[in-house]
Amino acid sequence: MTALASALRDLEAIVGEENFLTATQTVSGYQIDGQRPVAVAMPGSAEEVARLLRTASEQGLSVLLRGSGTHLYLGAPPTPIGMVLSFARMNRLVEYDAEDLTITAEAGTTLGALQKTVGEHGQILPLDPPGPDSATLGGIAATNLSGTMRMRYGSPRDLVIGLRVALADGTVVKTGGKTVKNVAGYELNKLFVSSLGTLGAICALTMRLTAQPEAKQIVLASLPPPTAAEAVRHLLSSRLDIATLEVANSAACRRIARALPVTLGPDRYLMFAGLMGDRESLPRQESEVLHLLGPGAARIQGEDADSAWAFLRNAAFPAAPGSVVARLSVPLSKTLEAADAVSSWDGWWAVARAGSGFLHAGPVDSGDLADVNQRLLHLRQTAQELGGFAVLEAGPTELKREFPIWGENVHDLDLMQKLKETFDPTGVLGCGRFLQGL
Amino acid sequence: MDKRALRGLRRAVGRHNALTEPADLLLYSYDSSTARGMPGAVVLPASTEEVAAVVKVCAQHGIPFVARGAGTNLSGGSAPIRGGVVIALSRMNRVLDLDLPNQRAVVEAGVVNLDLQNILAPHGLQFCPDPASQKASTIGGNVAENAGGPHCLKYGVTVNHVLGLTVVLPSGDIRRFGSKAEDAPGYDLVGLFVGSEGTFGVTTEMVLRLRPLPESTQIVVAFFDTLEAAGGAVSRIIAAGMVPAALEIMDKATIEAVEASFPSGLPTDVEAVLLIEVEGLEGALDGQAERCASICRELEARSAEIGRTPEERERLWSARRSAFGATARLSPAMLVTDATVPRTRLPEVLRQIQQIERKHGLRIAKIFHAGDGNLHSNILFDRDDPDGLRRAEAAATEIFHVAAGVEGTITGEHGVGAEKPRFMSLIYSREDIEAQRKVQRVFDPAGIANPGKVLPEPEAAAEGTA
Ligand SMILES: Cc1cc2nc3c(=O)[nH]c(=O)nc-3n(C[C@H](O)[C@H](O)[C@H](O)COP(=O)(O)OP(=O)(O)OC[C@H]3O[C@@H](n4cnc5c(N)ncnc54)[C@H](O)[C@@H]3O)c2cc1C
Repeated sequence: MTALASALRDLEAIVGEENFLTATQTVSGYQIDGQRPVAVAMPGSAEEVARLLRTASEQGLSVLLRGSGTHLYLGAPPTPIGMVLSFARMNRLVEYDAEDLTITAEAGTTLGALQKTVGEHGQILPLDPPGPDSATLGGIAATNLSGTMRMRYGSPRDLVIGLRVALADGTVVKTGGKTVKNVAGYELNKLFVSSLGTLGAICALTMRLTAQPEAKQIVLASLPPPTAAEAVRHLLSSRLDIATLEVANSAACRRIARALPVTLGPDRYLMFAGLMGDRESLPRQESEVLHLLGPGAARIQGEDADSAWAFLRNAAFPAAPGSVVARLSVPLSKTLEAADAVSSWDGWWAVARAGSGFLHAGPVDSGDLADVNQRLLHLRQTAQELGGFAVLEAGPTELKREFPIWGENVHDLDLMQKLKETFDPTGVLGCGRFLQGL
Repeated sequence: MDKRALRGLRRAVGRHNALTEPADLLLYSYDSSTARGMPGAVVLPASTEEVAAVVKVCAQHGIPFVARGAGTNLSGGSAPIRGGVVIALSRMNRVLDLDLPNQRAVVEAGVVNLDLQNILAPHGLQFCPDPASQKASTIGGNVAENAGGPHCLKYGVTVNHVLGLTVVLPSGDIRRFGSKAEDAPGYDLVGLFVGSEGTFGVTTEMVLRLRPLPESTQIVVAFFDTLEAAGGAVSRIIAAGMVPAALEIMDKATIEAVEASFPSGLPTDVEAVLLIEVEGLEGALDGQAERCASICRELEARSAEIGRTPEERERLWSARRSAFGATARLSPAMLVTDATVPRTRLPEVLRQIQQIERKHGLRIAKIFHAGDGNLHSNILFDRDDPDGLRRAEAAATEIFHVAAGVEGTITGEHGVGAEKPRFMSLIYSREDIEAQRKVQRVFDPAGIANPGKVLPEPEAAAEGTA
């Protein structure tokens, strides 16, 4: 028997035949960027995950962790994939203490399922990352994806209070705990959140929840760019406690403009101020924002507002496989300058998360990859000039091979590499998708 | 201290800023906990480069170093228990960049929290973490402890507000992690460094997130005849989905201490006072405040009143902020614990803490950031009683067990320091602790950065519970 065959046999023994796929046809469904894994394992517990990782690590078989695969477009094209480790079966609710506003669930739990559970108690996990609600909690944490409520509630980095992580040496460790405040020992939650599955496998998460807002609505207005920038400045320094503040250029709005009660000219931005709160404060917020945004501003509620939120949320999600999405991170006050740079190009959409300093952008049609590549380099330079950086979040494999998606000069790579070697000494986790092959 | 090392230190910071007189060393031998240790030298660097030069000398000679802010920590974090060099950051107290449009501040580690708040307030901004020690404690110390404070209930703890750090690693290397822009690709070295209690190196500068000050605040003050009922009110308010800015409890012993030292007009015949602060828009707080008050009344608060004037609010908050000092004045010998529990477990945990108090015949003054489940049980003892400290320690150990028993933690904000490494195994397995140790070794393979803190010795970890 070859080494590979014997490794596969060992792995299969851990999860059982029915949870271990190797048929070409089946594993083809798990390919990313044209790489097809040799096998797919679907463990049922953290202990099984740990045993799979240990065996893979010992045998030098590369492992790609998979939630529901909604965000595997992130990252560099993988090196050959030995095993995809799927969390599809690990979707149990471990503990929900509604009165404590915390929840513990397995990593394969989908965001949708979790929101449904907590929604029944009038609560939400205040995270709305781009893409469908079939995204899993483990995946959301590993990518540290956030959404339209970022400016008020933060990202997974802020909301995860405890993890159970399976490590490559076969142990399962707890980081953090169940309390909202905890400084016992080092903050290893932060290490695993946003590590893109390169240091260990998140098997369960404890997160803080919040009460559903009593009321919410969006105030929107179509504004010339300088006016929009001025309005953003005002709203950010105001004490109104806006929950969402996004600005979309006209190319981006083509996707939804028809449904909205404002007319969007060319050379205009559509600005969305999302208000969430109790019934006492919303009217004040609303009238001040309406006043600030001028006579053209309108208010939307209910389903209309929900669909606007969904549009904003999904702007950063590739519209089709291979669509190009770049993210610029810049200091807060520079977000609209970054949007201006993109909007000066025909056929490039841009949505600014103006309350957090992010800009998502891409070509509506990414036909000419050489041109796209040039422009992405230009955007990166723009971001750097504004005091930030740019990453390519999604794009066709060909482009992702060409373009240094995470950036070229990564600071402190030596420390990151040491952390990687510490937790993944044989380098099997992640298949080279993270920066500089971490 | 080795002569050559001392020469190196003097060269690094200048002769006047390297202290070796016993009287000076004594001043830096302790912090606000019971831990003690005599340093070999104290240096007062004025820049990141000087800190790096000092750390290089330490690295070369294998001498431990301990970073020190204001020394207000309550866990032995800045006590040089293994001797070596104390790096006091008090001269590094400049605000380097007040970047209002981007709502960021870049400050040196020795900037005092309240000094920063006072600079920010006229611009309508704040740095959210507001430890009750903010008059003295430094931002560097807040970052190293991942400090909390009364208003962290709504806004989160220090790590949620730190975006970048300049650090000197134990090798003497200067590094810059993070920036004013968020979500840089790569591992979250900023998040990892915050709360590392000076064991990963010295933080010299930090990039902080600022937030607009609330337009308006309202305070509700409720008095209870049992501590449990006050805890119950807190659980209820959280469960109702309200997020007050602060939910603070003080018990009878604490109230008495406050009234003895800083009379604030609090009644001394109640078992607990609950302070609730709500924040938001002018004119939009009455409903919230009223709902909080009525929950308190349902739980048979003796009274629950909404404070109407800024003076009243200030009076109540200064009572709260003085509580620790007042208690310390009452009994200079005091063991401070800050176990933290899931908020639904508050009433039962409070009951158990009172039982522990009775069992050991001790007084425990309780000052709680109750909304976070963070319970400061200050165990008062008599230093002249030969058995005093032992009984206090026994009580502390029991409190940690109670917290661990309800899936709580041994420290919510004060840090592990020198006092609690032996309790880490109450909440973490040997593997959990080993994972933490591996990270620590990545930053400090030689083990010279604040040794003896945070993690138990490898053998002790293997022994199981404390
Ligand atoms: C009256 C009182 C009230 C308090 N209230 C609160 C509260 O509400 N919330 C709370 O969280 N804490 C509170 N504390 C505890 C204490 O004030 C905090 O832990 C504070 O953050 C410590 O800051 P410091 O500047 O005094 O640091 P120090 O006590 O000097 O040091 C604390 C730790 O940080 C390390 N350190 C300090 N500076 C640096 C640096 N630049 N780089 C690396 N490591 C460094 C030290 O080595 C040590 O381990 C209180 C203490 C007192 C006495």
